Amino acid sequence: MGNKQTIFTAQQLDAYQMICNPTLKVNVLDHPRLFYRYRDLAPQLVPLDYTNHPDVKLPYELIGSMPELKDNPFRQRIAEVFSEDGEGNMTLDDFLDMFSVLSEMAPRDLKAYYAFKIYDFNDDDFICKSDLEKTLNKLTRNELTEDEVKMVCEKVIDEADLDNDGRLSLEDFQHMINRAPDFLSTFHIRI
Amino acid sequence: MVLSKNRLVVSCPTEEQILIKELVALSTTEQIRKIRALPVSFEEKKHVRLVEKIFLKICHWSVFPLYLNFIQKCNRDVYLCVLLCCLLLLQLIRRFGYSIKSISQSLQLWRGIMKEIGGKFGSSVLNYFVLLKWLLLFNIFSFLVNFGFITIPLLVSDLSPNVSPNVSFRGLELLTGAGYFNYTVMYYGSYSNETFRGLVDYDMQLAYFFTISVYMVLCGLVLIFSMASSFKKNYALADSASNSAWQLLCSWDFSITNEKAVNQRKNNLRIQLKESLSEKAHRERQTTSEQLKQYGIYFGFWLLSTGLAVGCGASIFYLCQYENEVRKSTHCCRNPEAETLLVPFVVSLMNMVIPLFFSLFNKFEHYSSQRRQIYALLFRNVLLRLSILGVLCYYWMNTVPQKFTCWEPVVGQALYRLVIVDFIFLMLGSLFGEFLSNVIGTKIQPRLGVPEFDVARNVLEIIYAQTLAWIGIYFSPLLPVIQILKFFILFYLKKVSLIHNCQPPRRSGRAAQMKTIFIFLLFIPFFVGALSIVAYTAWSLTPSEHCGPFRGLNNTFSVTGEWIDDVNKLSSTQWVVWIYQNVIKSEIFYFLITLIILVIIYIFWQLIQGRKELIVLLRKQIVNVGSNCPPE
Repeated sequence: MGNKQTIFTAQQLDAYQMICNPTLKVNVLDHPRLFYRYRDLAPQLVPLDYTNHPDVKLPYELIGSMPELKDNPFRQRIAEVFSEDGEGNMTLDDFLDMFSVLSEMAPRDLKAYYAFKIYDFNDDDFICKSDLEKTLNKLTRNELTEDEVKMVCEKVIDEADLDNDGRLSLEDFQHMINRAPDFLSTFHIRI
Repeated sequence: MVLSKNRLVVSCPTEEQILIKELVALSTTEQIRKIRALPVSFEEKKHVRLVEKIFLKICHWSVFPLYLNFIQKCNRDVYLCVLLCCLLLLQLIRRFGYSIKSISQSLQLWRGIMKEIGGKFGSSVLNYFVLLKWLLLFNIFSFLVNFGFITIPLLVSDLSPNVSPNVSFRGLELLTGAGYFNYTVMYYGSYSNETFRGLVDYDMQLAYFFTISVYMVLCGLVLIFSMASSFKKNYALADSASNSAWQLLCSWDFSITNEKAVNQRKNNLRIQLKESLSEKAHRERQTTSEQLKQYGIYFGFWLLSTGLAVGCGASIFYLCQYENEVRKSTHCCRNPEAETLLVPFVVSLMNMVIPLFFSLFNKFEHYSSQRRQIYALLFRNVLLRLSILGVLCYYWMNTVPQKFTCWEPVVGQALYRLVIVDFIFLMLGSLFGEFLSNVIGTKIQPRLGVPEFDVARNVLEIIYAQTLAWIGIYFSPLLPVIQILKFFILFYLKKVSLIHNCQPPRRSGRAAQMKTIFIFLLFIPFFVGALSIVAYTAWSLTPSEHCGPFRGLNNTFSVTGEWIDDVNKLSSTQWVVWIYQNVIKSEIFYFLITLIILVIIYIFWQLIQGRKELIVLLRKQIVNVGSNCPPE
């Protein structure tokens, strides 16, 4: 027994549940484990005692070096989407958000929303041709010719664009996700 | 649906809340000191409530002595005392609940290994291991139920089987299942048909019958539910996998964490995209003669595969007959027990070699889509295994009861041998098949490359293994033990072989659909087949007269008839008798139920048609709305 410090109060745990989307049944028990993973990235920066809400942000380089993310072609976009400042520097809340959405239990709509944001490189709430080209280049190591890239992007827009405006909106994307049952298991990082 | 981060806004705090906020920031000793030093004007009840709130929020053991302090003081107020004790109990439970939950999560079987495999090979390969673990759980449950309800009562009572003195344990029993094992509780023959009088009257006949039937019914229900939920999620609205949009945006597996695997996936995706582009560019209609030729090839190979499967079944039948005659003839073999291993050996050899032929046929056939190729291969393999199993079951149901006095243990032993030899062949197949392919692919013939892990073939192997166990439960209640060991060892073997010898599958995708197909296969041909064999045995075949729990009865099912007669004598349980006579035994009930279910299915089908039309209309509407609104 003795003077074991609590890391979070029950109040803080409840707060995390509200932040990480009230419809998401985040497993509260995962928080100590995720917290220790967060702390392991920079033990000298992250205090053990979070009851005072310390303002600690880990830089993107540390987040991107995690074994679960370091080989992912979209790690930079993932960190940018989930970080508060949009640059990839994550607080503990951002970190928990990220792994909650990428966990097994997150609902399909939530995952589709965040996947949309990840693929939207220019942050204009639409996936346009340039976003698709960047996605394709990240996924094929720039080994397709320019013509092929163009053809693939046109094909994608042909197939997925329902309202015929030349770019994919969130609804188009969600419609496509609804017809891809594998998505829930592929958009998932195990930690 | 836009999310924003909601920070908690605390409204105007009360005195208590301010105090709590201060206390939370302190260390625990400070907290206790501060509470103790609270001014006397604080009422005792308010004090208690404060302590309780702090305790609930901080969950500290060190506040525990304060609680005790208050409990000691409040002997004048019983209500307060009880309240405090209840709160304390709740706290303890909550604490223990958390630690138990976290321990059970970390103990979850093979969690680390699954994560590693999923990270390197993706979800389609992981499906195999998930299915293996699931089937292992089935067997563990079966073992617990059988051992607890059937074997333990027998062992505890005086009627446990005794081994005749001239039979000793030789090593060969592990392979053949006969000899020494014949006299143990392993097989049906050693169970008695008596009712044990003790604390409770325990009827062995009823126990045996109900344990097996309840287990099979539960398995069936679990399979039906998981199949239905899998269909709903993965099949109802699924799209075609050759769709470029899907390939680009939905197919990337975020859980892959290995650099080499990531590069491989990127290569594969690039190849697939190039293929789909070239298909689009060069797609020409096949001429009629080419189409006819293609259909001729399909027809020829299908005929050949079916012929192979039927031929294997027939040869197994003749082999069984031959073995029977050899056993009967006087100048028999040197080692009659080792001869019994011939049939399982041939069966497993066929199951290993013939699918290679089927894969070879596939290479010549050029199916238009990869999905059809996999389904064709699966169907042929299933046909082969079902025909062999069917022939064996026919032999066991028809010929064996006439030839042996105590025939159920004989069937049990045959199944035991099949399970063991199948296991040996699986191990050898993994070691030599995958290991040799790797060596050939990397050193001798580098053009072939490292072998892929063939998920479909491996899944079919474990489904077949599980079917053997399901058929065997009636004849050998402790067969699940062997199955548990088998699957346990197989898991580690396959994991090692996978990591050292194989590469991830080249064509990604449709893992969810394949999982649905596997569960469907598990249920419809294999489980239903096993269930029908057991049901046929229980319903139509006469149990052997001198051994086993159902000796002397006309058929196994008449146990329930006798039980109902016993129940009838007690007036309080007449409703059971009524249900039995008017529901289970009457044909009209089943007729009516079937009619009602057919009508409901028709109604749901019409609903689905209506929904499909609605989807088409809505899609047209989206296009109209999009073209009406000017782009931003």
